[in-house]
Amino acid sequence: MNWFSGLLIGLQEIREHKFRSFLTMLGVILGVASLLAMFALTAGIAAGWRNTMQQLGGLERVGVSDKQVSLEFADLAALSPGRTLADAEALRGLPHLVSHVAPEMQIPATLSAPDGQTVSARVTGTWPDNLTVSQHEVAAGRFLTDLDLERGARVVVLGDAKVAQLWPDEHGTDAEFLGRTITINDRPFSVVGVLALYEREEDRRRREATAKGGPAPARFAMGGRSGGSGRRDMFSWKNESVIVPLSTLYHEFRSGLPETPPLAMAKLDNLNFRVRDLQRFDETLTAVQNLLRGTRRGVDDYDFDTREDWFERMETSLRSTQLSGGLIAGISLLVGGIGIANIMLASIAQRVRELGVRLAVGARRRDVFLQILAESTVIGMIGGFLGLGAGVVLLDLLGRVAPLESPPVIEPSAILISVGFATAVGVLSGLYPAWRASRLDPIAALRYE
Amino acid sequence: MRKTPEPSAAVDLVDVHKIYGTGPDPVAALDGVSLRIDPGEFVAITGTSGSGKSTLMHLVGCLDTPTSGRVTVAGEDISTAGSDRLARLRNRSIGFVFQAFNLLPRLDVQSNIELPLVYAGVPRRERHQRALDAAAKVNLTDRLTHRPSQLSGGQCQRVAVARALVNDPALILADEPTGNLDTANGADVLRLLAELHRSGRTIVLVTHDPAVAARAARIVEMRDGRIVKDTPT
Repeated sequence: MNWFSGLLIGLQEIREHKFRSFLTMLGVILGVASLLAMFALTAGIAAGWRNTMQQLGGLERVGVSDKQVSLEFADLAALSPGRTLADAEALRGLPHLVSHVAPEMQIPATLSAPDGQTVSARVTGTWPDNLTVSQHEVAAGRFLTDLDLERGARVVVLGDAKVAQLWPDEHGTDAEFLGRTITINDRPFSVVGVLALYEREEDRRRREATAKGGPAPARFAMGGRSGGSGRRDMFSWKNESVIVPLSTLYHEFRSGLPETPPLAMAKLDNLNFRVRDLQRFDETLTAVQNLLRGTRRGVDDYDFDTREDWFERMETSLRSTQLSGGLIAGISLLVGGIGIANIMLASIAQRVRELGVRLAVGARRRDVFLQILAESTVIGMIGGFLGLGAGVVLLDLLGRVAPLESPPVIEPSAILISVGFATAVGVLSGLYPAWRASRLDPIAALRYE
Repeated sequence: MRKTPEPSAAVDLVDVHKIYGTGPDPVAALDGVSLRIDPGEFVAITGTSGSGKSTLMHLVGCLDTPTSGRVTVAGEDISTAGSDRLARLRNRSIGFVFQAFNLLPRLDVQSNIELPLVYAGVPRRERHQRALDAAAKVNLTDRLTHRPSQLSGGQCQRVAVARALVNDPALILADEPTGNLDTANGADVLRLLAELHRSGRTIVLVTHDPAVAARAARIVEMRDGRIVKDTPT
């Protein structure tokens, strides 16, 4: 007899006792269902976070920040020009490692729309690459172009929330605001682009749900500083964007003041760049470091801001969620396994005579062992597959009862692991009953009533 | 008393003891039994309950090993055989017919007959054919898809005989095969055994019923773990 005929006998047993087998499987079914649901939920959360992080610029986004100069450089610190446009130009010299460079200068300003409100804002002057580095998405119109930069054009790209603040009473499409003129510190700028509304998955769905029911266009309901919960602040810097060409900002608002350095040596408020290939992340940072050593005249007064810490925190938090979910599923599977072992023992007691007959006609101890083990394995596997179905139903119910922040994602690996665990539970819980059965004395078994 | 078994013996027991229990009060179920059964013999083993005939049957049937002495079945000394070797002997060399039929209730007739072949590792197709042949010998070809619960006692016992035959064993061991049957069906099964004997098989029939034992060509009578009479009929 081989493993396969053992499986067939196992299947036959299960078919003979459908209800009993189902009850036996219940623990495994619930265990697998919760395991699958846990995997799907955490995978969904991870996907949501990845999405959020992507919108914030992704892992590829690296900021160059200022750093307290260490003691050995203290007397040299004055030599370094600090974070200047020269750094940005130098970074452009590494196109194989750095794909995009976005220097930023910021000024506080007063924005005013002749046909709307007057609000205060931080105006950012930057390069067209900012679109990619900050992962902006243009909802209407266009972003800055090289030509804007060259000409020092008076054009502005507005974030969604800023549009809502400037024209709170207008509920039209984004495109309607293109071509309008606003003043920034009394100088006229033409609106050439409106950015998309950035929000978390959860907020988007809640907004869409209310949009269907409520009369007010939801973009304005949610837009602005007061609209969102504290957690939405993650995106507020993007939604509040007021973006103009760097050259325009410098010439209109910075130059002319006494002791103004030339544009190339002007201090930047931010300098972000995008790593071309994440596989070469460290290599890129080293290359940028060497480059900046030149522009900073050897003074070590800069640091890199990366998303790695954030990413690690996210991973840790996901792992602990998975651990607690896995624990619950594990307990359920354990209980399921005990249930299988229990039923198998009872079933053996019921079938002592059958096993005696099998032994009498030539079954070896290992044949009986395999038969019982195959049966419990089949129970575990079928329980696993039914559990997958139950898991899908569970996720659906969860989604209906409490809308999830991030839609659950069922990954193939989660299916494999869940069914794998169920099968392992079937095998493990069959070991002892199978051993008991294989120890039967054929004479006693044949006499058994 | 023979000291060495001749290879031709179907069953050969030499001074066999079987003692149950190791405590202060052990019971000798077999107390120095020597018995030789040649191929083609039809032997009845009789005796009252407790005479040791069941223990003798277990040894001949390779379900157990002796405490001392030598048991040879189909040319193999099983006195010290392990469970796998005993299983193989039961599978290849012995066909059992029990009082209670001992068919598997959830298998149909065909599968019940095939059962020994499954453990012999015979491929499916050949199993089917050999089960058909065995069923034909007991005249049950039209009941192959029935379950035991759908058959009469006599039919069940004929299925059991077919199962005992299917692997072409050297020895057929029938333990009170008529015990659960009415007279007519009992006679039917005995006729079947006699037929098998005529076609050259070795048959050992264990019974307490003198009328049943009389069907055999040789009667071995047991009492208190010893053979007290060994007579050809």
